[in-house]
Amino acid sequence: MSKASVFYDKFERHSHGEGLKGHATHYCPGCGHGLAHKYLAEAIDELGIQDRTVAVSPVGCSVFLYYYFDVGNTQAAHGRAPVVALGHKFANPESIVVSYQGDGDLASIGLAETVATAQLGAPITVIFINNAIYGMTGGQMAPTTLMGQQSSTSPSGRNEYNGQPLKMAELIAGLDGPVYVERVALYDAKQRIKAKKAIQKAMKLQVEGKGYSFIEVLAECPTHLKMNPEDTEKWVKECMEPVYPLGVKKDLTVDPWFKRNAPCFKGEKILSLAGATSEHPERFCKGFPTHLAAHDISLKLAGSGGDGAQTAAMLIARAAISEGFDATHIPSYGPESRGGTSYADVHVAEEEVLNPGSPDPQVLIAFNAPSLAKFGPTVRKGGYVIYDSSVVSEAPALDPSIKVFPVPFTGIATDLGKAVVKNIVALGALQAATGIFPKDTLLGAIRTALKDKCALIPLNEEAFAWGIKSVEGLDK
Amino acid sequence: MALKERPKPFLLPEYCKGCGRCLDACAKDCITLSDQINPLTGLVPVALDLANCNACGLCMDACPEPYGLRPAHEGEIQDFELEDPAKLFGVKPSDAPEPVDIPNEVLPLPRTEPLVIKGTYASALGALLAGCRHVYGYPITPSTEGAELMAKFLPKLDGTFIQAVSEVATVNMMYGTAGAGLPTMTFTSSPGFSLMLEGVSYMIGAELPGVFVNVMRGGPGLGNIAPEQADIKLACHGLGHGNTRALVLAPSTPQEMLDLTMLAFELSFKYRNPVILLGDGYLGQMTGKVQLPETMVKPGIPKWAVYGDAMHRKNVITSIFLTESDLEAHNVHLNAKYEAMQVEARAESFLCDDAEVVLIACNTPARTAKGAVQELRHQGIKAGLFRPITLWPFPVEDLKAAIQGAQRLVVVEASAGQLEDELRLALSKAGVREFPEIESVRRMGGVLPQQSEIMTRVLGRKEVLA
Repeated sequence: MSKASVFYDKFERHSHGEGLKGHATHYCPGCGHGLAHKYLAEAIDELGIQDRTVAVSPVGCSVFLYYYFDVGNTQAAHGRAPVVALGHKFANPESIVVSYQGDGDLASIGLAETVATAQLGAPITVIFINNAIYGMTGGQMAPTTLMGQQSSTSPSGRNEYNGQPLKMAELIAGLDGPVYVERVALYDAKQRIKAKKAIQKAMKLQVEGKGYSFIEVLAECPTHLKMNPEDTEKWVKECMEPVYPLGVKKDLTVDPWFKRNAPCFKGEKILSLAGATSEHPERFCKGFPTHLAAHDISLKLAGSGGDGAQTAAMLIARAAISEGFDATHIPSYGPESRGGTSYADVHVAEEEVLNPGSPDPQVLIAFNAPSLAKFGPTVRKGGYVIYDSSVVSEAPALDPSIKVFPVPFTGIATDLGKAVVKNIVALGALQAATGIFPKDTLLGAIRTALKDKCALIPLNEEAFAWGIKSVEGLDK
Repeated sequence: MALKERPKPFLLPEYCKGCGRCLDACAKDCITLSDQINPLTGLVPVALDLANCNACGLCMDACPEPYGLRPAHEGEIQDFELEDPAKLFGVKPSDAPEPVDIPNEVLPLPRTEPLVIKGTYASALGALLAGCRHVYGYPITPSTEGAELMAKFLPKLDGTFIQAVSEVATVNMMYGTAGAGLPTMTFTSSPGFSLMLEGVSYMIGAELPGVFVNVMRGGPGLGNIAPEQADIKLACHGLGHGNTRALVLAPSTPQEMLDLTMLAFELSFKYRNPVILLGDGYLGQMTGKVQLPETMVKPGIPKWAVYGDAMHRKNVITSIFLTESDLEAHNVHLNAKYEAMQVEARAESFLCDDAEVVLIACNTPARTAKGAVQELRHQGIKAGLFRPITLWPFPVEDLKAAIQGAQRLVVVEASAGQLEDELRLALSKAGVREFPEIESVRRMGGVLPQQSEIMTRVLGRKEVLA
């Protein structure tokens, strides 16, 4: 073996493999990346996972990691490597995914992705090269630049206005997600052996499905530290290491947990989740209710959140569609999660609902006084207004052609023991007042909606019947 | 078995950058910095004197170059001379196999009664039926119900839904799963879509499929959660940096939310490019009749994927082309793809054959406009509706046919003229110089144009003309 077989025999992607570039990395003399690459390649080789590995190249000096590693390669946007890695891991849970990142990528622009991915804890391996400087963009300050350290964007040395250097290994180890976090260095033979072992262990933990691991490598960047390689090694040891102490920061013993079944592609399963059925619903309508409109009936249901206007609207739409008509329902809410305004526009059309909005409805069901005051005047001539007379003491004056039905939705529902069925009382009233559909059509929609809560069906049937009775009572 | 003799190190000086890490790794002082610049590299390599070498191997562990210090082959040390590196290391860059396409399977679905569901749900079901089992997202009104439904259904299908830390993370999870060759999607709304654009540009650059359902809401900034159509410019002309294009589909009914989501997956893999589905807040929330299709898809794996298995080992997903000529060639390739996408232009022309007044609208305003067309026809006005279903490419050939007899064009939209801009650009590019003056019915800020406003515009103008 002349090298870890995980390196390509020739670096075709490095300037098309021309000349020396076919076998040389693009890294500067003394750079730490080459060693980290080598230890990663050896780990992949020794674990026998070359075919399963996906290496995510970041933005930074190691952006060209994919020039060298003969594995599946993907190149991520700046800082996004860990979430790209997750996308690969979840696509193929058998794959072994490595997110290889520098300090700008991982600890600055990608901090949110770094922390969230670590906390998620899915088994990927993150190799973090910390050389305390931005390399590719030319020696700017990194989040890990030391206090007092000069860079092109901290020319008189990092000071308190730049904040303190970020200790990523400690930060990541403080999270619940990771199983293994270690900081290593490359400056002498002893540290290199530890670095190699740490990378191998991090990869092995992923192979075993045990969880997320994070290896921070203190690396040398002689070019931008403006030192020779030997002095840079010394600088890492003497200046970086006291700020970034080496060693294992977290090492949990856990059972393998990451097991995922192959996704299901059974049509029946999807249909059942969607509630789709091949059963034809029974039809009761003899034809489109043309006494209300020739082709398209416009309704509005309005109340406060919790009145059940949306549910009632949905039931009308479902009833219409079960009869073979077209229908739409558009909800509209105020910004409050509870108790705000809640309006629903409903259309029922013989063929196709053209305009689903109901700015001037033929039928208004109002659950409270403000709704009645707001929308009553918009109802078309000859239309219907049904409102909750339990809560509206005085109805506003409406066009005399409009048929008005005061029905105590709330009173009836409360008498039945459940105030929430007031919307079903309203549906009964709608049926009796307008004859939009036969009773059985609406009852069918109500029963279907309650098919998982059968015990509630009798109460709802009773509420519906009382709604009808109240309107019939008004007629007398 | 006799102990095999450990190999001593070997180095081709042109692969040594002279970092000197091997110097202190060697206890026998076999390695020194050479005093001569290597003429091939301009660097100063190390020099080996292996008289005292005990083949401990530490120098090789210290060398950062894959082809730097390495164990010597038999006879190599004695016979060293500069060789052609290609011959030295072989010409084959990898023994990885040549990948082949694993095609999708189309599976029959039993015929079912129509569902009554909201637009976002219809889109989510469309995605499931298109074979998508990997959905990533970040909650944002008014698109969240789509993600919520996925979060409920996907675990039951052994699929993956992950609520990402942000939209930025969302799109990059999609980048990963799409890179693995699988269908993936997200639901978002305008501010979230803005955040995803960086990733969309990367996906286009790296030629990755993915479906973005953007349920547009009012802007700019935080705006509000009511429906608007003010992301047309983003989807058609502003997909992040660089030379980016994507097919933009504009459904107008819950049924189309399902149908066009399924189409979006198909087109996104056909062209290896993201597809944007632009809905509006009304459409996302609107419940309507949705008929499920007769078939569904079990996805395969395309040959270009990085799936993380032996067959796809040779692949790389990237949008970097460092050499200018390479990047230009890539852009030429992308342009050819964008050109090929022109055949996907789709539109609906409603009563346009004899129309003198042609309304032009998409999404929910198109439905309002359809209502207006019917009402105008009742009043004896020959009105029609032209509804682009793809906003990019704009269906200009269909438009030309639809407005042949038109005396008036009225663009109805919930934006400050973004649809009209698309229309004008398409007509201009198609060389159509003669067309009626374009009138507009525009609302903004989450207010949709009303049928009455369209009527007023059309009838008001007519009275003026009369």
